[in-house]
Amino acid sequence: MSATDTGGRVSRFGSAVAEGWTRERFGLLGAVALVLVAFAPPFQVYLFTDFLVVALFALGFNLLYGYTGLLSFGHGLFYAGGAYGIAIVLRDLGPVIADVVGAGISPLVTFVLGGVVGLVLVVLVAVPVGWLSVRLEEIYFALITLAFGMLGYSLIIQDPAGLTNGTDGVIVLLGTVDLGGFSLRIGGRRIYYAISAVTVVAAVYGVWRVVNSPFGTVCKAIRESPDRAAALGIDVGHHRWMTFIVSAAVVGIAGVLRAGLASVASPGLTHWSTSAIAVIATVIGGATYFYGPIVGAFIFLYIRWAISRFPALEAYWELFFGALLIAVVLFFKQGAVGGLLLLRDRLFGDGGGGGGGALDDGQASTAADDGAESGDDNVRADRGDNS
Amino acid sequence: MSLTSLVPLIGIADVVIGLSLGSRLFLIAVGLSLIFGVLGVLNFAHGGFYMLGAYFTLAVVSNVVDNFWIAVVVGALAVGVVGAAIEFSAIRRLYDRVDSDLDQLIVTFGFVLVIHETVRFVWGSGSYSIDPPDVFNFSVALGGSTFNAYRLVVIGLAVGVLVALWLFITRTYFGSLVRGTSSDREMAAMLGVDVPRLYTGVFFLGSVLAGLGGALSAPLQSTSPALGDQVIIDAFIVVVIGGLGSMSGAFVGAMLIGMMQSLGPQFISAGSIAIPFLAMVIVLLIRPEGLFGGIGE
Repeated sequence: MSATDTGGRVSRFGSAVAEGWTRERFGLLGAVALVLVAFAPPFQVYLFTDFLVVALFALGFNLLYGYTGLLSFGHGLFYAGGAYGIAIVLRDLGPVIADVVGAGISPLVTFVLGGVVGLVLVVLVAVPVGWLSVRLEEIYFALITLAFGMLGYSLIIQDPAGLTNGTDGVIVLLGTVDLGGFSLRIGGRRIYYAISAVTVVAAVYGVWRVVNSPFGTVCKAIRESPDRAAALGIDVGHHRWMTFIVSAAVVGIAGVLRAGLASVASPGLTHWSTSAIAVIATVIGGATYFYGPIVGAFIFLYIRWAISRFPALEAYWELFFGALLIAVVLFFKQGAVGGLLLLRDRLFGDGGGGGGGALDDGQASTAADDGAESGDDNVRADRGDNS
Repeated sequence: MSLTSLVPLIGIADVVIGLSLGSRLFLIAVGLSLIFGVLGVLNFAHGGFYMLGAYFTLAVVSNVVDNFWIAVVVGALAVGVVGAAIEFSAIRRLYDRVDSDLDQLIVTFGFVLVIHETVRFVWGSGSYSIDPPDVFNFSVALGGSTFNAYRLVVIGLAVGVLVALWLFITRTYFGSLVRGTSSDREMAAMLGVDVPRLYTGVFFLGSVLAGLGGALSAPLQSTSPALGDQVIIDAFIVVVIGGLGSMSGAFVGAMLIGMMQSLGPQFISAGSIAIPFLAMVIVLLIRPEGLFGGIGE
């Protein structure tokens, strides 16, 4: 995995940097950073939690887009599924659970149970929706997922079963754990940040394992060429379906966290404009990289925050992201992560795309079809490392 | 017991309103369908074009000339220029890519955001409305219900556009170039068709139609920055049901959805807004090419 594997194409300085900064060190640095954030001012803690949730949302979305080439405009459905799952459990089962486990610990038990219910609900929805959707490709897949998302939106708004409370949504009250002298407000910014950080890191690690498992290898094979994969005896439709379900589940976890952070599960989460947030973050960050959606979510949240500091511009932040989205797709499909890697190569490498360093997991897809020729050998070499 | 007490009474006014809603949907959907049929681009920003048509018309009426029809023509053409500029500057760069379909969708989505925010910047977040032209601004009483006569004008113009487009595509030289390029772009290029120019031309035409839909609908709705996002989803439903690329399909699909919007709530109280999306899912699964054929039909 070290840069020297690429056959001395990296300069000495570059290889020293690449060897010094192993994945473990980056991991440790990341963990320290996550702990430090907990001591930031409250609003910054909130903003960072928001970033983590959106990052997980986009990462789940990109499992499908980046790894199988299927662009969903309906992942808001699963985002909302997780949110409504936990919100309804908290609303309707809170007292019941308090009777069983005692009032002190019940908010925590209800929260965990709600999260599990939200996740199960999302999987139950994703199994049939995915099974039907993966029969279609490209534009038609985008359209059918959009239709499923808006179908869910309509049902949540009209609320025929009396569960979702129509356009107002379901209020989420997380409560306080009280164990004789020790009390913990789950919805408190720092506590909720800790819960979110642990959950998101675990989920990201899980996704990373999936991507680098034999299953993930098959997905990559399908992405490279569905026809060849099929000729090798791989059931392409089945793998796309499974990826769809995993992708939805990850988004569902993000939805569960969103409900607690926003203190409400609202119908807007199912709307296509929410699904579009995952598209924006992923494309800006770089859909061809594992970490692309995470970096994209960071850019999305923090640039939006930076714009909001200027009252004259505050209302028009979408204009910036619209223009950025257009520019990235037209001129630099590798997105922000691709840009960072290019910058790193310029600074530390020979500029020829060398260096399979710690950040580059080589998850580039065929979508990086233009202007990526120089980095192509490198990407393929890396892929061999990971698979 | 009479039949009318068993079946909810369908007023003539409801039918006319449904058809006029269908007409505005037809004008946006037919342009969307035409662009997809020829260029293979699903233009997410088409709802934004429709909205721009309404705003341009309002702007011309209130600032330049106080004549609705001149404003409609100017508004629609101005939208065509915006559309052609977007095709020329951005979408054109994507035709030769491997996965161009999704890139085009994402880029046109970027323009959804840009148009939405630009409209908010220029005209604010409030909503505008305008009276129908005086000649048609009177109520028609029919079968115990009333509606504005202007709705009949919109319906008539939509039918006129359908006929004119059909004649244009099937009977003119330019129409034959469009049909030929849509069925085989490389062959058309080899036979000397200036494909890039034709693409820009078709995108211009499709944008003009969306702008016309928005302009003509300005007296029937309140025009606000949310308009584009609402109408593009309806247009997607219409083109999927009618068949992406089909003009007659866009017409039938639009009228179907328009009638559903007008009459639906009387028949089904809960879940009525879900039905169009359910229909969209079913058509995509069972007949992804839509209920009607390809371009020119």
